[in-house]
Amino acid sequence: MTLWFLRGLRRGVVTTWYPARPDSSAASLPTPPVFRADVLDRATADRLVEVCPSRALRRESDTLIFDLGACTACGRCQDAAPEAATPSGEFELAATSRAHLVKRIPLLREARS
Amino acid sequence: MTAVQPGPAGSLASLLGAVSGASFAEAGNAVTVRIPVAQLETAVHHLATTGARLADLFAAGQDPAVLHLVWALDAQQQYLIVQADVTGDEYPPLSDIAPAAFAEECEIYEQFGIRPATGKPLNRVALPPHAGPDFPRLGHRPGQAPAEIHAPHTVGGHAFEFPFGPVRQVGMESLYYGLVTSGEEIVDLYLFTWHKHRGLEWRLRGRTPRDALFHVERTEGLSAIAMSWAFTAAVEAALGVDPPSAAQRTRAVALELERLYNHAAATAALCQATGLSIGQSAAEIALERLLRLNAAVFGHRYLFGVMETGGVRRAPDAAELRGQLPAAQSELCRAADALLATNSFLDRLEACGIVTTEQARRLGLVGPVARAAGVSIDTRLDQPAPPYFQHPPAVAARTSGDVLARFGVMHDEAAESVRLIGDLLDAGAGAGTANVPSTGGSGLGWAESSRGEALAWVALGADGRISRARLRPASVRNWRGFDDACRSQNVFTDVPIIEASFWLTVAGTAR
Repeated sequence: MTLWFLRGLRRGVVTTWYPARPDSSAASLPTPPVFRADVLDRATADRLVEVCPSRALRRESDTLIFDLGACTACGRCQDAAPEAATPSGEFELAATSRAHLVKRIPLLREARS
Repeated sequence: MTAVQPGPAGSLASLLGAVSGASFAEAGNAVTVRIPVAQLETAVHHLATTGARLADLFAAGQDPAVLHLVWALDAQQQYLIVQADVTGDEYPPLSDIAPAAFAEECEIYEQFGIRPATGKPLNRVALPPHAGPDFPRLGHRPGQAPAEIHAPHTVGGHAFEFPFGPVRQVGMESLYYGLVTSGEEIVDLYLFTWHKHRGLEWRLRGRTPRDALFHVERTEGLSAIAMSWAFTAAVEAALGVDPPSAAQRTRAVALELERLYNHAAATAALCQATGLSIGQSAAEIALERLLRLNAAVFGHRYLFGVMETGGVRRAPDAAELRGQLPAAQSELCRAADALLATNSFLDRLEACGIVTTEQARRLGLVGPVARAAGVSIDTRLDQPAPPYFQHPPAVAARTSGDVLARFGVMHDEAAESVRLIGDLLDAGAGAGTANVPSTGGSGLGWAESSRGEALAWVALGADGRISRARLRPASVRNWRGFDDACRSQNVFTDVPIIEASFWLTVAGTAR
């Protein structure tokens, strides 16, 4: 046991204060999307709702509702409509209320040509 | 129940000779033979006595339900699927001949309402007790509810049942142990594994393979690569698709990374179970390095999103992998070597949780649990598929069957994984997918997860959507050996050690 004690001392502390040091691998992690309201029309929104496997997206009339708490950052919406959905680069989802994780994105009234 | 003794390897020709009315159904990566249900006992007896290994048993379809018995003919590097239509509510009892079939007989009863003809009690294994008439099932509801295996809290004499779970500390999954004890020694152990049932096989019906892959990856998150490789291989076999060679090598690289982090996690869990907190920290440092390496190389700590039907979505960052893997592996190696030189640690592992060779064979166990008990099966070698023809692994094995043997197997496998990753990168690993048509067919797929053989069988309709998908992670097999391991002269405090050495998931069995 003494050896293990010394081994522990020798290895030292490896944990860090958060977020004192940026994680170098964070940049390559998948992150939830952000949606561009200026290019989102009903047809694009319906396409996004269709491909979302975790049902984080739904459309209510002229609004796309995005539940960030249900998003698994699978990237399928970004593949399906890269002009409308881009990686946010943000995977920290702290919120004081569950409702704060649900985003409402107004859609264009007219279809984009 | 007594298992039949294995003999020389069985073969398709001898099966067709032994069973009347058998017909060759189709070829592919597995041979399929259709037989009359009345001949099922004869066929099972023939295969079990000629060295075939019953790898899975499941049903598909309704009116009639079709039983599928997946046999691994390891000596012949071939899988054999035996199909039989069950027109009534009963079929011949199979687990009397091949005990490995019992858990699946129970599952088939819950999902399809058909049962072995002996009338023996079938346990509740998958569906929760509140599953009423409207609960989604793959087939008909059983006539009678399955029997509960719950032991009374006072068993008899001085023995009593000590309930443990299903809510457990920190990140442990929902699992109930009924520990029957006389005070210290474990007399018996029951497992309830249905608390996490998610009906995944039911949910996959009607989906395209690409949509289904999202759910398949989450069948057992710690085997995301192995399970999704088995599934995509089944789809590819059904559709006659050959993924590009570089993509096959990428799959194998990801699979070895998955094995590495799982073995590191099992090592940390073993230290925690034995109260060696510095050893646990050392193994967890290695684990964290490996998970960060996964993120840097494939963009996800648990390797989600790598696989795709027909190939892979992402290529590994080879420079990053070559640069960081040696340091992460040496961290793990240092911890494991120090543990192997610590007597107080080894004393807890030696002769603890023994699984005998006979038990491993009888129950159809797989992976490090089987290999540590002298049953040296590894699908990468026994059922090779690309890229393993060019890159065969060295299989680690032991014979004592205890926790120490399982730890030794995992330690050796970690080193072999690093060697294999180097070989695969040298040969070239890249992204890319073959064209996947939207047509019908059925196929079997497999992969060697860190827990052992993972299997998937898929039937696609003419529109290319799934009509039945069977997912069989290695955990489904190995949980059935856990209670036997715990009963072998062990006490309460050995249970966490045995659990860490099995390193199974509840999600895998409660899929």
